[in-house]
Amino acid sequence: MEKERVRDALQRIVGKENVLWKDVDLTVYSYDAGLAKGRAGFVAFVDNSDQVAQIVSFLYKEGISYVARGSGTNLTGGTVPSDGGVVIEFSRMNRILEIDIENERVVVEPGIYNLTVQNALAEKGYYYAPDPASQKASSMGGNLGENAGGPHCLKYGVTSNHVLGAEVVLPNGEKTWIGGKALDAPGPDVMGLLVGSEGTLGIATKMVCRIMRSPERVLTMLCIYNSIEAAGQTVSDIISEGIIPATLEIMDNLVIRAVEASVHAGYPLDAEAVLLIELDGLTDGMDEQMKRITEICEKDGAVSSRLAKDGNERNILWAGRRGAFGAVARLRPAYLVCDGTVPRTRLPKALSEVKKISEKYRVPIGNVFHAGDGNLHPLILFDDRDADELARVHKAGREILKVCADLGGTISGEHGIGTEKLREMSLVFKDGDIRMMRGIRQAMDPSGLCNPGKVIPKEEATPC
Amino acid sequence: MLKKRAATNDGAPLRTLESLGVAAKRAERPTKESEARQIIARAFKEKLTVLSMGGATAISAGTLPERVDIVLDMTGMEGIAHFDPSNLNMTVLAGTTLDGINEFLAGQGNGFFLPLDPPFSQRATIGGVYASNGSGPSRLRYGTMRDQILGVRGVDARGGEVGFGGKTVKNVSGYDLTKFLIGSAGSLCLITAATMRVYPLPAASSLCEVFFPAMGELEKFLQALRSSVLLPSGVTVEPVKGAFRVLSAFEGHPLAVERENRDFLSMAGTFGGKGEAKMGREVMGEAIRAAIEAEGETTAIKITVPLSEGPATLSGLKELAGPAKTVLFAGNGVILVYGADAGIIDGAKRLAFNGYVAPLRLHRSLLSPWGPRVDPVLEQFVLRPIKEKLDPSGVFPPIL
Repeated sequence: MEKERVRDALQRIVGKENVLWKDVDLTVYSYDAGLAKGRAGFVAFVDNSDQVAQIVSFLYKEGISYVARGSGTNLTGGTVPSDGGVVIEFSRMNRILEIDIENERVVVEPGIYNLTVQNALAEKGYYYAPDPASQKASSMGGNLGENAGGPHCLKYGVTSNHVLGAEVVLPNGEKTWIGGKALDAPGPDVMGLLVGSEGTLGIATKMVCRIMRSPERVLTMLCIYNSIEAAGQTVSDIISEGIIPATLEIMDNLVIRAVEASVHAGYPLDAEAVLLIELDGLTDGMDEQMKRITEICEKDGAVSSRLAKDGNERNILWAGRRGAFGAVARLRPAYLVCDGTVPRTRLPKALSEVKKISEKYRVPIGNVFHAGDGNLHPLILFDDRDADELARVHKAGREILKVCADLGGTISGEHGIGTEKLREMSLVFKDGDIRMMRGIRQAMDPSGLCNPGKVIPKEEATPC
Repeated sequence: MLKKRAATNDGAPLRTLESLGVAAKRAERPTKESEARQIIARAFKEKLTVLSMGGATAISAGTLPERVDIVLDMTGMEGIAHFDPSNLNMTVLAGTTLDGINEFLAGQGNGFFLPLDPPFSQRATIGGVYASNGSGPSRLRYGTMRDQILGVRGVDARGGEVGFGGKTVKNVSGYDLTKFLIGSAGSLCLITAATMRVYPLPAASSLCEVFFPAMGELEKFLQALRSSVLLPSGVTVEPVKGAFRVLSAFEGHPLAVERENRDFLSMAGTFGGKGEAKMGREVMGEAIRAAIEAEGETTAIKITVPLSEGPATLSGLKELAGPAKTVLFAGNGVILVYGADAGIIDGAKRLAFNGYVAPLRLHRSLLSPWGPRVDPVLEQFVLRPIKEKLDPSGVFPPIL
């Protein structure tokens, strides 16, 4: 009876056909791209911010938890309904509301794909810098929730550097604007807090993002190495030289072979590592910079290098990098991505530790990562039907994150904490730090209904 | 137990606050984080209020209380705690000035720099810039504090140590309090150290100086510049006798800078602007500094509007402000007004209806009638509950 009452209320807000409650339908919303599972009572498809505010307001009064969901590409369980409740589904709020070239802003709804926005901007000679590898499928709202990065964030920064304002439905259902087209809203940087809060402090229903003029020229080069450590050294050497490329991406042999079997990007199968380097900006001086980079690659032992001749060749090289996760998924039934980050110069040490962990726990690990940012993505491959292997995978994942923390890095560069890294928060934060985060959460969401169980460990959580 | 420190000998922080209408009972000048923690722990226990202060270049950005028990003079916490040239980051104590940081960086290896250039960088401390979200023209290319900061250490309202962020460029572990506390004006915790990104000094730097006789053509030029592929580090526009003076800084590969100088002057010429380019980092820095600063301890406010409204807002302010100095950071929609009085502030609020007007340095008597500075819903359901949770006894100044 109670369930029917909630269903009726949701249907009154979004329409009868826009609420799911049958078991078979709910299954689709019980997981995301991570390993966590949950079960919602309802899924409500929203069309506008008023509906979101009405739903949140209703759930707040009823004491029912909820989680906002874009495309479900989250890798740490952040969009899993781990406390039951309602999934507020944003895939229909997918409009570009305004492309404001004069003010260099785009205003979008959160359900739109990152790539759809990029394509619309490209037609006008502009782009939005954050470009997660999942951009074909991941939503802008999800990018905001996770503070998504991407290859080009080395030079241009992550989502929080580019989202300047948002219309937000607060955990009690009140609607407000944070920031906007003008810069420097007075007071604390609430937008900076909201980005990366994984939907636990409110739900963005409109986003104002910075857009930038497309560069005059782009040069992309693929470098081949016999050792992944040498490729990592090149990354440090290029940046020490004072050159900040747009991207510096590394893939190891396991990933190269998977990519070639899937995407056919033209990576040599016998290479231990490939390094993808991209420069962008003004034409003048760029050839000289690329020449200097080539010299650095050779000094560090690159076997060969190949400059993309045109946009088509560049797209093929990038298809390999962007398709890496999907390609690796063909090798085993499941994978776990560890998203640890280390200071750039500690990459060789981190990679060598990852290799040892792979051997210790007898799990294959592929490496594809944003080397310029020191952002590792070890992909631990496994069969999730094998309980023993799954247990070893979790141990290996935790150990990799501990390595990152011990090397002066952190446990997440761009995928967030979700439910999967709650235990590891104590590797990088002291009790007082977490207490302050928890205080903010309790202040903004005192009833704890807004995506509960994510990001901040409960007080009784035991440090690992 | 902290050895009781005497108030600073010259009493400068107390006098500064007094000149702004704030009565402070005494000043303390910690030199280490542990001392700051003890002062705040004692304040919490004894229900005292604490106002932290660096160079006081934007002290009115937050809420200036009428009375305060302790003014925490942060200039005693000065120095470079850590510099990592290979990973392009550094950790500095909160009371270190921006000029001090950049002098240090310029002398390391082939030279580095921190691209934060708010006015009065010789006095502005990194903690103060963080607390007030200060910025300068170079934000056009490099962004602001939120783009340069990697992590902070600080002291909470009970005197406990806290730390957020780290030393990596990417970091989404937990809530991003490193960003949230920017602009909080010391109302939620005291910042004692900041870890910042740094950059290798560019191979070439230049400054283009161009004069335009009228705003109409200048506005078209700025629009053309924004939609071009040129990448100025910063562009300032200031009204000068019967004309508008535009400064544009370029940095990067020598060939790129040379091309940018050429194209910039040519583009300006198309719209009636005349001027020249000069090479050199020092020339560039000094000219930009002079353009954005004013002499004396004058009042200062900051206006931000959508980028395209910058020139028109500047024109409106020029009419309002008369002889008061105004300067626009073109491409960012930020305008500084020095010598602002109540009339100019009211006019600025009318002009910036699509943006914000914020005090940087104003007497309390001008702040009191200001009215709400943040959205009431945001204030009621976000900022006030956070303040009550993190600083229940009100050790730090009220939040906006």
